[in-house]
Amino acid sequence: MLELLRQFVSEFVSLTDEDFTILAERIVVRSFDKRAELLRAGEVEHYMNFVVKGLVRMYFYKGNTEVILNIAKERELISSSSSFFSGKPSNYTIETLEPTTMLSLTRDHLEEIYQRNSRIERLGRQMTTHFVLQKEEWEYECIRLDARERFIHFIERNPDLVQRVPQKYLASYLNMKPETFSRLKHLIKNNKVRPIKS
Amino acid sequence: MSNSIASYKDALDRLHHYLSRFVQLSKQEFNVFLPYIEIREFDKKVKVIDTGEVERYLNIVAWGVVRKYLPVRNMELTVQLASEGHIIHSELSFFYRTPSSAVIETLEPTVFFSITYDSLQDLYDRFPKAERLGRLIISDLFIKKDDRFFDQLNKDTRERFLEYVRTHPQMLQRVPQKYIASYLNIKPETFSRLKHLLRQGKRGPA
Repeated sequence: MLELLRQFVSEFVSLTDEDFTILAERIVVRSFDKRAELLRAGEVEHYMNFVVKGLVRMYFYKGNTEVILNIAKERELISSSSSFFSGKPSNYTIETLEPTTMLSLTRDHLEEIYQRNSRIERLGRQMTTHFVLQKEEWEYECIRLDARERFIHFIERNPDLVQRVPQKYLASYLNMKPETFSRLKHLIKNNKVRPIKS
Repeated sequence: MSNSIASYKDALDRLHHYLSRFVQLSKQEFNVFLPYIEIREFDKKVKVIDTGEVERYLNIVAWGVVRKYLPVRNMELTVQLASEGHIIHSELSFFYRTPSSAVIETLEPTVFFSITYDSLQDLYDRFPKAERLGRLIISDLFIKKDDRFFDQLNKDTRERFLEYVRTHPQMLQRVPQKYIASYLNIKPETFSRLKHLLRQGKRGPA
């Protein structure tokens, strides 16, 4: 499990064995059933989580409608990051969609490690930057791409999620009506929608 | 550079103050950062970066007002309005070293404190405190982005308008209405109507 995490972080910075041990010592393994709530809107997020196995979503209620902001699978991070960074209550709820195992680190432990090890602090900076850029990319995509283009982009990058995630959740995540999602999925199956040349 | 860095004393004091919100930074420590910072001056209505160019700088507004927008289908969609003390740059282009899809344009004569990508990496390598400062500033940017994102999804037009007016009273005077409307994702007509209602004090409960 830790090896997966090590591979993941090595894309950001190269850590020595000693550095990684400092990190690993503070990591806890958390396992959840399907449909378990990890965090509820209004609570403060204490954990940064790395998904080893399973699937997790983050959402909030707008009136009676669930709006999904993030779906995380294996080798991805999930946390209500804004709450995690600020210590303020989360706007979002985090819930598993499949039985899930994750490696988790609390904010307090992370802060303590940052004080001791500047390479891990650099890792923290780079991951945070990565979060900012993801958000920026997502905003640009929502502005620049229409529903069809967002759909194609998404399934090109996450072909497996079309099978694993209930359609209505994917539609919500891609900010489109479930009917639009069905129609696009159908068109793809019949090869009537060509990939975007970018 | 037409001015020496010393002639920006007040603005630099504000920068020092801004950075000190994240980590304790003595005057000496702050002075160590100064050689890495460039001062860039622009007239009103200048494109600081255009689409297709690679962003070289991270900028903090010393004074002036700037907007960032995406040109999409004959429209200009404003994604950020920045004034004194705000960070603005084309961050995807800056970090990935790819052509920018955003344009940044000054709305007033503007001065930036700017740092290049390479200088920033150099600073991080040399000073652990810069590493911490960078991490905390970026966390703060994330929180702000997330707040805006959440508000766009969760709040209605009127709430977004009132919240913006309450938190950025001076921007209403400094920024053309159509840009604020675009930033808040509100139709210009609706924006005018809301502004009119606000002036008449018919706000009602928020």
